[in-house]
Amino acid sequence: MESKVLKPILAVYVGLFLLFLYGPFLVLGILSFQQGPEGGPQFPITEWSTFWYKHLFGLAPPSRVSPLPIGEALFRSMTLAGMTMITSTVLGVMSAQAFRKNFRGKSVIFYLIVLGMIVPGVLVGLGTALVATTTGIDRHWWSTAFATHVVYTFPFAFLVMLAIFNRFDSSVEEASWSLGVSPLKTFRKVTFPLIFPGVLSAMLFAFTLSYDEFSRTLFSSGRDQTLPLAIYGTFTVEIHPNVFAFGVLTTIFSFSLLAVYAILMTLSVRRAKRVAIQEAIA
Amino acid sequence: MSVADAQATVTIVPASTAPLVSRDSASSYWLIAPAVIFMSLFLVIPILMIVYVSFWTQTTFKIEAKLTLDSWQTFFASDTYITSLFTTVRIWLIVLVTTFVVGYPTALFVGLFVRNKTLQTALLVMCVIPFWTSFLIRVLAWRPMLGKEGAINIILQGLGIIQQPIEALLFTELSVIIGMTQIYVVFMVGPIAFMLGRIDPSLIEAARDLGADFWRILRKIIFPLSLPGVVVGAIFVSVMVLGEFATSAALSGRKVNLLGNIIVTQVGSLKWALASVVGVILTVIMGLVVAGLLRIVDLKKEL
Amino acid sequence: MTVPLHRDALGVARCFGNLHNSQRLRSPYIGALDALAGKMAVEAAIFSLDGVVKRYGAHTALDSITFSIKNNEYVSLLGPSGSGKTVLLRTIAGFEAPDAGTVHVGNHDKTRVPAHLRAIGFVFQNFALFPHLSVFDNVAFGLRYGIMPIAEDAVRERTLKMLDLVGLTGLGERGVTQISGGQKQRVALARTLVTEPKLVLLDEPLGALDANLRTRMRIELRRIREQLGVTFLHVTGSETEALAMGDRVIVLDQGRIAQIAKSDDVYNRPASANVARFLNRYNVFDGVLEGDRFTSPYGQFGFGHRVPDRRSAYAIRYDRLAARASDGPQNGGATLEAGYVASEYLGSAVVHFFEAKGGKVIEVEHHLSNGPPAKYVAGARYVLAWKPDDAIVFG
Repeated sequence: MESKVLKPILAVYVGLFLLFLYGPFLVLGILSFQQGPEGGPQFPITEWSTFWYKHLFGLAPPSRVSPLPIGEALFRSMTLAGMTMITSTVLGVMSAQAFRKNFRGKSVIFYLIVLGMIVPGVLVGLGTALVATTTGIDRHWWSTAFATHVVYTFPFAFLVMLAIFNRFDSSVEEASWSLGVSPLKTFRKVTFPLIFPGVLSAMLFAFTLSYDEFSRTLFSSGRDQTLPLAIYGTFTVEIHPNVFAFGVLTTIFSFSLLAVYAILMTLSVRRAKRVAIQEAIA
Repeated sequence: MSVADAQATVTIVPASTAPLVSRDSASSYWLIAPAVIFMSLFLVIPILMIVYVSFWTQTTFKIEAKLTLDSWQTFFASDTYITSLFTTVRIWLIVLVTTFVVGYPTALFVGLFVRNKTLQTALLVMCVIPFWTSFLIRVLAWRPMLGKEGAINIILQGLGIIQQPIEALLFTELSVIIGMTQIYVVFMVGPIAFMLGRIDPSLIEAARDLGADFWRILRKIIFPLSLPGVVVGAIFVSVMVLGEFATSAALSGRKVNLLGNIIVTQVGSLKWALASVVGVILTVIMGLVVAGLLRIVDLKKEL
Repeated sequence: MTVPLHRDALGVARCFGNLHNSQRLRSPYIGALDALAGKMAVEAAIFSLDGVVKRYGAHTALDSITFSIKNNEYVSLLGPSGSGKTVLLRTIAGFEAPDAGTVHVGNHDKTRVPAHLRAIGFVFQNFALFPHLSVFDNVAFGLRYGIMPIAEDAVRERTLKMLDLVGLTGLGERGVTQISGGQKQRVALARTLVTEPKLVLLDEPLGALDANLRTRMRIELRRIREQLGVTFLHVTGSETEALAMGDRVIVLDQGRIAQIAKSDDVYNRPASANVARFLNRYNVFDGVLEGDRFTSPYGQFGFGHRVPDRRSAYAIRYDRLAARASDGPQNGGATLEAGYVASEYLGSAVVHFFEAKGGKVIEVEHHLSNGPPAKYVAGARYVLAWKPDDAIVFG
């Protein structure tokens, strides 16, 4: 009875909620087509143009607005995210595999790993910077910053793999052993193909988290900036619609990344699904 | 298990089986060792280092490993720092409340009222989609929204609700709270919706048949059952808000200084010892908050 | 070898599910397989367990298990759930380490040898097929990735031959999720047998199949085993399966071996009251044994022979009882009064259920080869009678 009244009210509320989530993006998207180089990062739109997109790629005529240093920063961020993704996924799979058995210190190690995602980035960045300066190690995006990124993304990969192994029927592994196949080869030929969808999710997690990470990177990356640091740099100075245009592009890029993941996932799931349907018909 | 117990176990187990059992867990140790070494080197040691350096002697140009309480005294003697401590706690509490208030009805709708799995997933995915846009861009996107000539003021003026643009929207504590709420509310919605989705609808039917009105059902049945989700969401939000500095840097126009901002400024001027003091204080607050939240429900039992 | 169906076992087989139909189905590949079988010389005890103990905390799952299996033998392992039969099988396979005792294959001590070096096959109840591989690749798996490298040509040849043997000709390219339960069972079996293990452990291999398929697969299992001359240790919770399939039956009771004997010996002379209970073919009464009198709550009974056991009990097989009207003539023998409850048709026999005082259910089996079943009135009292010589007393 109440639900007849309540449900529509809540539905309207959820609509407003989504508007709250997406509103800024709409505004950002609209303002990225602001006229340039005089047009500012606010309404009204003086004239629709793609100036700021051209500006981003260095195709616009020189003006007082300096171009965003995204070329190299983008390369660094992608490389760093790739390195982080591989390392934390490998560590995540290994650790989750270890957690399938009982061993002494298991719960302490669990908390140690989860700590990596709970401790705020500023603290990890600060600590790493302190260790680096006192030991005289140079800070680089590919060394110290890489370590802080793995500390952050590895727990996510670990938890994803833990959930996957929780539902994993280990009798297929035992079956493989009993056929005379060594544990290592069993992992390669049976376990890994079966946990692969989980590995993909862990990789996606690790990549996106690392790609977007900046609070750890801020203190630990040294001189060369990653992409989020380049954007963070614009906070202090006057912002121009080129940042908005850049936001639109990164969003599109993120979605294409997501699409690649979805395609890979569908491909690996489709066979099983098609088979299940055929079985249901038969 | 105490050491004495462990020794007793060893003597009871026949000697012949010992190699097999230890080899069994030995493979686990080899697999987990890289992770433990990595986390010790790059997480535990850096955090211990923060504690250690907070007692170092700081001069204008360098820092020495001579232990002193100077930096701690500087922190507690300074109004600026104490204010920032209170601001951090205040903003954390406010954002905790706003994310809960804004998020709970959404979670209620998604988790309890939508029983169609596809629609439920679609709604949750819609909540998560913004996460594939850079965090910093999402923060920046609030500037053209809240500004004096921003979208909200334009719309409100267009509707004739206000005559003069509201200037308090941007570069104030309010803008920081609005920004943080939007960014972190999803971490509240997800866990709560998950817990609500597990409620058996017949339970609510039964309560309704007994004549309980919706508010009563919400208070007595729905909310208690969703509490573990609220706690998980609160941990997520707390951990992230307490370590924040970017949102306040982008949206407050330097008016709001959180502990995170202090760390960033101090590191910028190479005041490592003071930055470490702030880091230790932040860690302590964080530990207290997480421990306190975990006391509310036994998550191991609930999840 | 021949199926060891003795006189009594034949009776069992008949009432259990027409095993006399299980004539060997001739395969065109028998010539090739004779050669394979010939490789495995008949020798004593290809496998033995000695004093195997397995504990989980305070619970002892296996308590000094000792037995051996001869080459080319079909042994059933029977026990109720929780008796430790799956743990025993997993210990033999090397998935679990025993806390004491040894596992020998041939003359080699395999107690510390990891599972993949034991050359012991394992067929799982849920089949445990590799879901990401085709039927062919499932069967070829052990040959391809095993410790002994084999040329892909030979892998192909052996795999195709094995698919033919188990009746999966032409199904090699199917995904293993695209085939029926019975076919999955065959893939699981073929996958194990193609690696030519000395011993194959089967963990309730027919448990996941429906009743109809189960009977057919029983026959298939025996045929395939006999053609290959491989040794089977077949774990089952079903007494009919254990008795019908095994040359010998091992009965497990609370982690201990209660009896090891030929099927008909287990059936006719259970070694303990518990074994008699597991067989599900005996009415077992508790009571007190004094000299040659057994006193149960239903009266004093005479008995034929006595089997030593820790607790006393009295067992009479379902088909050795007859029910008659309670006011009919009494002609000696053991009797007990009970009310008729219901009957159940089994095809070749009818089982009548009676309820004695205290709610004890007593089953009386009537073979239809002895004439049509009598009609009983529900709730009416009847006298159940048997010859004391047919009864076994434990204690």
